[in-house]
Amino acid sequence: MEIAMRELLIEKHFISAGEIRRHLEVLDSRTPQLGARLVAKAWVDPEFKARLLRDGRGACEEVGISFYENTQLTVLENTEKVHNLIVCTLCSCYPREVLGLPPDWYKLTPYRSRAVREPRGVLAEFGTIIPDDVEIRVSDSTAMIRYLVLPRRPEGTEEMTEEQLAALVTRDAMIGVVPVEREKGGAQ
Amino acid sequence: MNRSEELLKRLPNDIGGQLGAPIRRVEHEYLPWEKRCHALADVLDMRKLVNTEEKRRGVEALGAEMIGALTYYERWIAAFANILFQKGVLTPGELAFKMEEVAERHGKDTNI
Repeated sequence: MEIAMRELLIEKHFISAGEIRRHLEVLDSRTPQLGARLVAKAWVDPEFKARLLRDGRGACEEVGISFYENTQLTVLENTEKVHNLIVCTLCSCYPREVLGLPPDWYKLTPYRSRAVREPRGVLAEFGTIIPDDVEIRVSDSTAMIRYLVLPRRPEGTEEMTEEQLAALVTRDAMIGVVPVEREKGGAQ
Repeated sequence: MNRSEELLKRLPNDIGGQLGAPIRRVEHEYLPWEKRCHALADVLDMRKLVNTEEKRRGVEALGAEMIGALTYYERWIAAFANILFQKGVLTPGELAFKMEEVAERHGKDTNI
């Protein structure tokens, strides 16, 4: 049906083949590497971090990451006292501009229903144990407001360059289900 | 609260906070048609034919059975078809005709 619909819409001049091609290129250009670069830059540059936390979309545009009309990005910082997790309970809203397309598990019922109800249980299923004295904040995304987690910088990375730091940051850490590890390895 | 009241108070997609199954950490490489479908959604939005809220409403309007049976992007395509019919952008007849033409060209059924 997709092929037929697209061809019909093009034939009837509602859309053009060029537009579809351009949007496919944009989709392919959006990967978690974009988010990882933001995180690494925030870790090494406190003023950039302040701007990122104050105005996520503005800070992205500052480093050349464009946004779709009207969507805002709010960046949530993990600290020793607060751990953030993002979800879209109603559908699948996700910070696509900086992470690309979401994984299936993010869009399926168990994560969507349980993340706001029992985040510690959900995190444990990802192998992530958050101590009881750390507050967990779950942010429910909407079409207009997307969220990105700024995970904590791992210990022992003081000597690393921004590029080396960015290579450690995974998509799942920016959703908030796992921490960033000093050694990159294991599942995304 | 009886069953009718439960159903009225919670639309099918309003699942936040409900009990749920263990999370299966599944993901798959996006198929070419799925990416094209996503690009189509973005173009329909840009062209002001179907925006995100309309798309979501269209998916919800498919009803619980279809939502359960169709895959994620199949739901989008079905929703687009319904919305575009309602707006008079396409007719069911022309889409059906085109789908047959595409099927003949490809020598097999199309993806949906």
